[in-house]
Amino acid sequence: MKIDTQDIRLSYGAKEILKGVSINVPCKQFVGVIGPNGSGKSTMLKCIYRVLKPTGGCVSLNGEKLEEISYRESAKKMAVLAQHNYYNFEFSVREVVLMGRAPHKKAMERDNAKDYEIVDEALKTVGMYDFIDRDFSTLSGGEQQRVILARALAQQTPCLILDEPTNHLDITHQLQLMRMVKNLNVTIISAIHDLNIAAMFCDRIYVLKNGEIAAHGKTEDVLTRELISDIYKVEVEIVKDHKGQMHILFL
Amino acid sequence: MKKRNNSFFILAMAVLLPLLVFSILASITFGNADISIKEVYSVVIYKLFHIESLNTFSDAVHDVVWLIRLPRVLLAVAVGMGLSVCGVIMQAVVKNPLADPYVLGISSGASLGATLAIMLGVGAFLGQNSVGVAAFLGAMGTSFAVMFISSIGGRSNAGKLILAGMAVSAVCSAFSSFVLYIANDKNAMSQVTFWTMGSLAGAKWSKVAVVLPIIIIGTLLFWTQYRNLNLMLLGDEVSITLGTDLHKVRNMYMILSSLMVGFAVYAAGMIGFVGLIIPHAIRMLFGTDHMKMIPLCALTGAIFLIWSDVACRIILPNSEMPIGILISIIGAPCFIYLMVRRSYGFGGDKS
Repeated sequence: MKIDTQDIRLSYGAKEILKGVSINVPCKQFVGVIGPNGSGKSTMLKCIYRVLKPTGGCVSLNGEKLEEISYRESAKKMAVLAQHNYYNFEFSVREVVLMGRAPHKKAMERDNAKDYEIVDEALKTVGMYDFIDRDFSTLSGGEQQRVILARALAQQTPCLILDEPTNHLDITHQLQLMRMVKNLNVTIISAIHDLNIAAMFCDRIYVLKNGEIAAHGKTEDVLTRELISDIYKVEVEIVKDHKGQMHILFL
Repeated sequence: MKKRNNSFFILAMAVLLPLLVFSILASITFGNADISIKEVYSVVIYKLFHIESLNTFSDAVHDVVWLIRLPRVLLAVAVGMGLSVCGVIMQAVVKNPLADPYVLGISSGASLGATLAIMLGVGAFLGQNSVGVAAFLGAMGTSFAVMFISSIGGRSNAGKLILAGMAVSAVCSAFSSFVLYIANDKNAMSQVTFWTMGSLAGAKWSKVAVVLPIIIIGTLLFWTQYRNLNLMLLGDEVSITLGTDLHKVRNMYMILSSLMVGFAVYAAGMIGFVGLIIPHAIRMLFGTDHMKMIPLCALTGAIFLIWSDVACRIILPNSEMPIGILISIIGAPCFIYLMVRRSYGFGGDKS
């Protein structure tokens, strides 16, 4: 499943947040979106996962225009892991994950044994199976994000959208979550704050600045000293360790 | 102690359903008129199955049991069920555990309708129960006004709904007070006060025949919507990513539940607290899943109201207590007890 956006624009009142953004995410690639705060990363992702409607341009999944398919259909194609998950009511972990099955269900259809199996499987994948009967609100931030990831897995979609999912997580949980996601072998588009995390996991990167694409390409081609100093106004040095993994040092 | 699996739910249903039937049958034996239990059941069995050998009771006994007590108990079932279920729905719709069935300004709208009917005789052409009908119209009017106001200038959301509800409520209460103040009629004033405390004393078969089916159908309809109701608590954004745009269904739920609450108000006036306490009690015991919440709340609410009404009939000798008072007196301490004993969080951190 590939995702394309064509010249999407979005304005809040007179302020134009996205000024014609075109990206394409090839099948089974991990594509990162980086950029300073307020550059429009989240807004662009929200246009893709349909919470916001772009005022111009269009988004397509495998060539199918998003506005021509139902919410139910698009929820079978892409799952979302966003940064904020706070509920006013108590749900058990099982109930939260089970809701990932919602797009696959008809109006009156009951949850069946297969759904429960999928839920168990998803929780095992993220290592949260032992917590299945706990209340969601009693879990730590990292655990909650893993449960939400399990919900996204239960949706069984060929692509996954990550909207800065590792905000508020410590480094252990950030790496753990990103590794889990990377191992899923699905199409992924992710907004990322931490440039080193982006360097570790992304196949390709888009750089957004002021609602426009400032650069894009393979990770090591994009993350250069010049670009980072241009976009973020900080001086960096880029080194490679013995495994060939690039690291960005802030000076 | 977490017992949230399905077998616990099925067990609870298996206990509550017979308990509801038992409560209906037991409650008709209580009352001010001195009628033996045997007489009560011979009336009921005679009326249901027309067994002539049981026709030994007097006309007065027949009237008390069949025309006064039984419709009253059935009306209690309808009102208790309706208010509890609508409480659940409203809490989901506005995504706020503090919401009750009257959150869309229904209570003040209904009071305004009732006040106008009592004080100014508005709607006398509506027949005997003009106060109930006027209250129903007031309730529906305000809830539609609130829904309309909250959708002006973009999509309505939970916050706008609650605020619009409060604003419309304030306007309606002010008008009611104004009418009461201007009319300065002590007798009518006490009538209004009595109405706002709620009572099932006006039960008749003709009322039951309208209200009970509407409440039961509404409850069943909401039961089929449990998946959407669960999603609603996660918020609109998450629901979209899970394949459901809740905007349209939210309006439908509000219209249906306003209708149900409107009829509950028509039948029994204002009965507060049921719609808040029953959903919370059930949620504490069984969790938030609406698949379980709706049937459990419907049954518990019905049983709760039956016994509250019985208590109202027998607590004061030769007189009746308004049910609204009793429910708050009994309900609030029970609620506090549940809240303190269980580590019940309204989301977020739990101690």
